[in-house]
Amino acid sequence: MVHMDVEVAEVVDFLAQHAPFSELTGAERRALAKELSIRYFRRGTVVIESGAPNHSLYIIRSGAVDIAEGGQDLVDRDEPGDSFGSSSLLSRSPSRYRATAVEDTLAYVLPGHRFQQLMRESDPVRDFYTPRQRGRLSQLARELQKSDDSILRLDAGDMIVRAPIAAPPSTSIREAAEIMTRERVSALLINEGDQLVGILTDRDLRSRVVLQGVPNTEPVSSVMTRNPVRVSPEMKAFELLMVMTSKKIHHLPVVRDGRALGLVSAGDLMRLESSNPVVLIGEIGRRNDPEGIAEVARQAPRLAAQLLDQGANADDVSHVLTAIADAITGRLIQLVEIDRGPAPHPWCWVTLGSQARHELGFASDQDHAMVIADEATDLSWYEEAAERVVAGLELAGLKRCPGGAMATNWHLRSREWRRQFAQWVNEPESKAVLHAQIFFDARPVHGDFTLFDELVGGVVSGAQHAQRFLGHLAAMAVRREPPLTFFRGFVLENSGAHKDQFDIKAGGLHAIIESVRVLALAAGVTEPATLTRIEALRAAGRLNDDTAAELSDAFEFISFLRLRHQAELMARNEPANNFIAPDQLSTAERRHLRYAFTAVRQIQQTIQYQWQTHLMN
Amino acid sequence: MRDFLAVPAPSPRTPLGDLPLLAIDLETTGLDAESDRILSIGFVPVDGREIRLGGAREIVVRAGSGEGVGDSATVHGLTDDVVAAGVPLTDALAATLRALEGRVLLAHHAAIETGFLARACERAFGARPLFVAVDTVLLGRELLAPGDEDVPPGRLRLDALRSQFGLPRYRAHNALSDALACGELYLALTQELGATRLQQVSVR
Repeated sequence: MVHMDVEVAEVVDFLAQHAPFSELTGAERRALAKELSIRYFRRGTVVIESGAPNHSLYIIRSGAVDIAEGGQDLVDRDEPGDSFGSSSLLSRSPSRYRATAVEDTLAYVLPGHRFQQLMRESDPVRDFYTPRQRGRLSQLARELQKSDDSILRLDAGDMIVRAPIAAPPSTSIREAAEIMTRERVSALLINEGDQLVGILTDRDLRSRVVLQGVPNTEPVSSVMTRNPVRVSPEMKAFELLMVMTSKKIHHLPVVRDGRALGLVSAGDLMRLESSNPVVLIGEIGRRNDPEGIAEVARQAPRLAAQLLDQGANADDVSHVLTAIADAITGRLIQLVEIDRGPAPHPWCWVTLGSQARHELGFASDQDHAMVIADEATDLSWYEEAAERVVAGLELAGLKRCPGGAMATNWHLRSREWRRQFAQWVNEPESKAVLHAQIFFDARPVHGDFTLFDELVGGVVSGAQHAQRFLGHLAAMAVRREPPLTFFRGFVLENSGAHKDQFDIKAGGLHAIIESVRVLALAAGVTEPATLTRIEALRAAGRLNDDTAAELSDAFEFISFLRLRHQAELMARNEPANNFIAPDQLSTAERRHLRYAFTAVRQIQQTIQYQWQTHLMN
Repeated sequence: MRDFLAVPAPSPRTPLGDLPLLAIDLETTGLDAESDRILSIGFVPVDGREIRLGGAREIVVRAGSGEGVGDSATVHGLTDDVVAAGVPLTDALAATLRALEGRVLLAHHAAIETGFLARACERAFGARPLFVAVDTVLLGRELLAPGDEDVPPGRLRLDALRSQFGLPRYRAHNALSDALACGELYLALTQELGATRLQQVSVR
């Protein structure tokens, strides 16, 4: 032998950095490298022609290659580390795609028979190239949301759900009991000035007052527990439980510098695992004024961020945020009804847009409307209710809708709604349709739901065959293409405060929401939620199983990235936005996001063909 | 040596798409074929428009007694220990000539490779072969200066020319990496220049 068994380090090292070859053993990679040849394609060269046979797998070493279905519609842009040619090798049929070098491109070329052999012998290669199957993206999303035993990370400060309920030591036992009943708390903190000096619990009232025959006119200081066991806000949740167990107590004041910040009960800890949102929603229902509701509502984003952190998916977290917003809305309306008496005629509060779809994020606007029975003549009750609910929601952190889609503007009787919808649907004009879209994602929250159901049934059946109207919606759904070229140099906002960032809401989420909306309306589907609509479209045969799965997964994944981004901003006390910078994403996430964008682009192309939207604009 | 000479070189009219080449790079102790020595030889075959990685080799040449790599170690990273582990020059040359059979020699600054190989063959086998060579420096000059104007030498360096085509950066001064880098650059240059036949690109 006159030569050493040489490895081409430049090639082997590159393979080691890119999936799925990075998953191979070093020996497998060295063996693979020897099977490769290298080819160069000048920009503009067609590497694989659509409809032509293909016998190789191409791995891009430098440059970029566009993959277009049938030679026309851009499906993907591949960059260094990406490969193409696998689908025709796997199907053993002519390529469905045309691959064109859009930059001068250097590619490693693996003979098809060697690729087939790897598919048989290597799990990572098989997993990577097996055609996308149901749930592939959601599996990726789950992997990204690496769940940790989060209860171990929660601390006492995280557990405080409301400001402490406290009274001075001179308070009579009777007054103390009244406060506890009114506030629905099982323990009362006793403060001297701003310093915690004692605690009085339900159990104390039974064992030290009633059973001992102490008169309830006595001050609480005579029966309270002095200098109660207390914890710092930094103490971990599981430590709280240990303290309670060892001291045989059920309430722990959380104290900093002698001042009580709040109280954690054994019940709080018990509920922690499954039903945090339930606690919050229950608490909202106990508040008696908009300020009190807002105080509880302010816990919602933090709770949602915790859930996300604990591995909940985006759909779950959005559902929690939506349920809390529904609870706030419902309670605010109840307060009006308590204050002003019930509405004079049947009516229904209807939420619109993201809340209607169960898709609230961390920073959402309020969008809603009222449907009022036709017999109503004087609308003053409804107008006042609308004003008060809007103000209450704003106080709770839901910004006023900049487009004015709020019950203060939109409180119409059923027949007026029918006329309004008929106008939108039958005489579509693109600007009006743009503003009206939000009314087609609606859900009743409070009041007489039958008023809403009657209205929406007619609206949907009217819209279903209104081709011009659907055409306008379709044109809007496809107007913002997801940036498939995003990953190469990243297509970003090129000016303003969000320069070099990407708007994940407009460019990703809304493309899906609007595409699914037009398909749903065309199919007579009445549900507003995007995932429910996708499932209904699948069940009705309007979307095939794979497309439906890809689209659901894309929606979940993009939603997850957005929520996580907003949770991170919140943790840094920065205002929420939808702008994601490329360096926030891991390589894996960028790859996954690209799968998601590919799914979005495909549904948009379906819509484009169906409604010929390019003819409309 | 005899085998090498027995296989005819490709005809000047061979289409580049069918042309077999061997991209070669030598690491040497200096630039003078008379006084400097070959330390290692890297090569990789190019068949038409494809580089065949399966044929890639890197041969480290064992030093004769009393010969060290000296200061050149700082350039190519081959220390005396590595060089001591190599093969005798005669064997290295024989393996290189075998790989070159029926192929055109391809190198960046091909005169260095042809000069050193010819001189070494002369010493080892008593004959000086003539190599048909393709030089990516000359192709690069044709691209940058189609007339006869001067090109700053820095722009004709291997990595400078490669960057024109977005080709990746490789570690320099490793014989195999440089041979591979030269092979890739050849693919890019011939396509960019639209060259179709050997006679358009070869030097003798």
